[in-house]
Amino acid sequence: MPFRTRGIRPADRRGSAQVGRGAERSRPAAVGGARACRSVAAVAVAALVLTTGVGGGGRKFYDDDPLRREPETQDASGVAARDIELLYDLPYNLFARPGGSAARVRAQNVNTIDEVPDSSWFTNRILARPISIAELLRGPNTLDGVDEQRGVITGLKNAGAAPGFVGRTGDGEFWFVTFDAAGHPEAATGALMVASKLFWALGYWQVEQYLTELTAADVADGIGISPDATVRMPSGERRPLRRDDFEAVLARAHRSADGSYRMVAARRIPGRVIGGFRYHGTRSDDPNDIVPHEHRRELRALKVFGAWTNLVDIKAGNTLDTLIAENGRARVRHYLQDVGSTFGSGANGPHDWDEGHEHLFEFEPFWKRLVSFGFYRRPWQTARYENHVSVGRFEAAAFDPPAWRPRTPNGAFINARDDDTFWAARRVTAFSDEMLRAVVTAGGFSDPAAERHLADVLIARRDRIGAAYLPRINPLVDFTLGADGVLTFANAAADAGVADAPGGYRAAWAEYDNRSGESRALGDGSRSSSARLETPGPLPSRPGAFVRIEVSAVDPPRAAWTRPVHVYFKRTADGWTLVGLERLPEHERMRG
Amino acid sequence: MNVWRVPAAVAALLGGIAAPAAGQAESGPATRAELIAARQAAKAEALEPEEPSAGEAVVARMRTVLLESPSGAYPLVGSVRSGGGFAFGGGYRRYYRGDAYWDLHGLYSMRGYKRVELGTASVADTAVPGRFEFALRTGWLDVTRLAYYGAGMDTAAEDRTNSRLRQTYVGGSVRGRLHPWVTLRGEADVEHYVLGPGQGPHPSIETVHAAAAAPGLGETSAFARMGGTAAFDWRESPGYTKSGGYYGATLQVWFNQDSVYAFERLDVDLVQHVPILRETWVLALRGRMQSILDDGDIVPFYLLPALGSGRTLRAYPTDRFRDRHALLLSAEWRWVPNRHFFDMALFFDAGKVAPRRADLDLRGLRTNWGIGARFHGPSSTPLRMELARGREGWGYIFSASPAF
Repeated sequence: MPFRTRGIRPADRRGSAQVGRGAERSRPAAVGGARACRSVAAVAVAALVLTTGVGGGGRKFYDDDPLRREPETQDASGVAARDIELLYDLPYNLFARPGGSAARVRAQNVNTIDEVPDSSWFTNRILARPISIAELLRGPNTLDGVDEQRGVITGLKNAGAAPGFVGRTGDGEFWFVTFDAAGHPEAATGALMVASKLFWALGYWQVEQYLTELTAADVADGIGISPDATVRMPSGERRPLRRDDFEAVLARAHRSADGSYRMVAARRIPGRVIGGFRYHGTRSDDPNDIVPHEHRRELRALKVFGAWTNLVDIKAGNTLDTLIAENGRARVRHYLQDVGSTFGSGANGPHDWDEGHEHLFEFEPFWKRLVSFGFYRRPWQTARYENHVSVGRFEAAAFDPPAWRPRTPNGAFINARDDDTFWAARRVTAFSDEMLRAVVTAGGFSDPAAERHLADVLIARRDRIGAAYLPRINPLVDFTLGADGVLTFANAAADAGVADAPGGYRAAWAEYDNRSGESRALGDGSRSSSARLETPGPLPSRPGAFVRIEVSAVDPPRAAWTRPVHVYFKRTADGWTLVGLERLPEHERMRG
Repeated sequence: MNVWRVPAAVAALLGGIAAPAAGQAESGPATRAELIAARQAAKAEALEPEEPSAGEAVVARMRTVLLESPSGAYPLVGSVRSGGGFAFGGGYRRYYRGDAYWDLHGLYSMRGYKRVELGTASVADTAVPGRFEFALRTGWLDVTRLAYYGAGMDTAAEDRTNSRLRQTYVGGSVRGRLHPWVTLRGEADVEHYVLGPGQGPHPSIETVHAAAAAPGLGETSAFARMGGTAAFDWRESPGYTKSGGYYGATLQVWFNQDSVYAFERLDVDLVQHVPILRETWVLALRGRMQSILDDGDIVPFYLLPALGSGRTLRAYPTDRFRDRHALLLSAEWRWVPNRHFFDMALFFDAGKVAPRRADLDLRGLRTNWGIGARFHGPSSTPLRMELARGREGWGYIFSASPAF
């Protein structure tokens, strides 16, 4: 028996019905009437024409808008496995910045209400629906633990920097097992366990990870090695794996005082592995991959999620695509496969001091340090860290979300706009304190102070994310139009306590012609001191009618809030249904 | 994937899930899902295999050849011997078992130094305590401009003479770790030296020095040499480090068949790298002492401890000072414009040679100062460029290894 699971800790089994702080409200429909606001509508239609490059005469909304699931209609069985050359990918992203553009376009995989549909990339979880603590702690896992019966080692880990091996348990499951690096107990494994839960809750496909241990007795009794296991020799040839090969791996791993080795067993993901994905372009052999990756919102949003968790090693090499069968067709599923370089540690110890603060190379700090003999001062030089080996260098006081940097830039991050970061920040701020204090228990940290520190920093960084990104654009959300013609909504920034509420709100109402793109003002607009606006006139009552409402803030704490959010409602038999939301125009040159 | 394929990007842009449907005729798709499906179907008709770009293919090929291809020919850039300048060449390696190979390589330096070596070596993960690497080698070395200024510190730059040293050797070595911080190395060689008239603009040695002043002059000598090194070494890597230290001692014993040149030499190296303010700066300190242990032993001049080179007194030419004992002290103040690729350094070296060990004090040290730039990786320094100033002028250093 080569390794033995600790299974799911008691904390994992909590069944509290705690939900995210910002679980979306239900959206009752409503009916009403309005007059057109022709000038604004004309500008909007012109903008649409300009952005699409085609003339009018079509429709803005289809009957199935807003899409809740991204269609993937084609069989992808022809997709072939390929490797991304990381020695090329790193400098290419660092210096050529593929996919980057000064004129940033709106994310292209959002639906008409500015949300990301479920897909082979992303599944709406936090914010979209309640998540219990038990569900959060379970995360992507579908098993209660690793079945250690008749487990054998089938090979050594050859990817990533952490020591580890590949194993097969008696139930036929394959596992990719990672140890903590020598001298850094609980750091790599703890980060993997906690981060995989967080990124699962955020919506990404995650590998199932289980905290296990190799006991001293396992080591003493002899390690089960599969007769088929081989190891690559320096010559490039392979020979049968020997016990001393495994002992060399153990020599790089952290050995506990009782002689055991703590490790994380990652379950082999389903499907055929076909390589990683890039953060720009599309896969030319996947017919369903039609949105350039730099324009996928969930990839742009990793700029915020990465900053929150300090996931510095965001690169193609830490992603994985697999070919799976779904509804009789082959599909490519996209995993954020390795989220281990999070918080304050990497695979072999704490992050370098500047990680999270600078790319591997940035010209400005380079030349300033060069000519100043190193006296050019940066925040990472003075950030104060609590000393927890299992957490590493992770703090919140010096954390400036927009200034956060992964090791290498990528096209998705370069293209991220304020509506993308706002979308992401809402999900980060949806994690309650209780959820974060619970999720860190997944790390199995033996030191309560370390566990508490990790939660404290995550909470504080969450709040900084909210303060940085929620007020940056008009933060109105959760629009509903009632049958009585009353528009209600929420202010995400004010509700999160990161900005003062404005003096009030104003709205321009219009009946919208979905065929022509023209609109007709409904009254002279409305105004209110609260997040509740009444229609200035009767709303159309025929089924299929559309109204457009442009809502902005009055006397706001941020000038950006005066730019209206455009919301569209469609009249159905049940009332008014939100079908459109535009927070920013299709194209916009962004601030840094 | 071709990221520059603009039409494809535009098509995908128009195919976004929220893309306005403006322009869609009444006969077009009835639903958003159908619209997207149509675009996916269109792409399905024009699928292309994922191919690496030209740049990616080149890098992948280089990685395979240079880092992963264990058997075959390879290019080589390095040094034949200090003072020879950059050397270029190539080699051929062939594994005859999983962890051992034959290797033949040759180098030719900018100053005409040459080396050809044939050897076999085992490969082991010597970072793991208890694992050792073994090597056997035989080779030929031709140093056309071996400098000799005379013994001691009182020689002048104008005193330089050159000789040509041709060395043939056969031997072996073993190295590994007893503990993560304790390294061991042992080696044994048989070396054959032929000393002849030097090349270059300086006088040939025999025209200036008599054999009494330069032992070994005009002789052909064969030695057996055995050496052993023990060290505490907790640097991040010997090739590049920002922290850690190296405290080691090497004892070498030479003897030849007529015992004229039997002698022992002890080298003690103490190196400490002190990171400051989270490796914003690194204070690097080195002290090195080399000593012929027995005052009565006769040592060929070309095997005497020496100072002057890109790794010792950097403003002075290679082997500028020779004597039976040598002391070297170096300090570097490094700053780090880029943590991963590039360091700068201000440095100061001081050293002396002496005929007696008791004279290895801090009086009469020859000094230099300078500035350097180093391109490095996590465990290597492929290019070190330095400019040093000493009493005799400027020294320019281009090296593929760290100073210490």
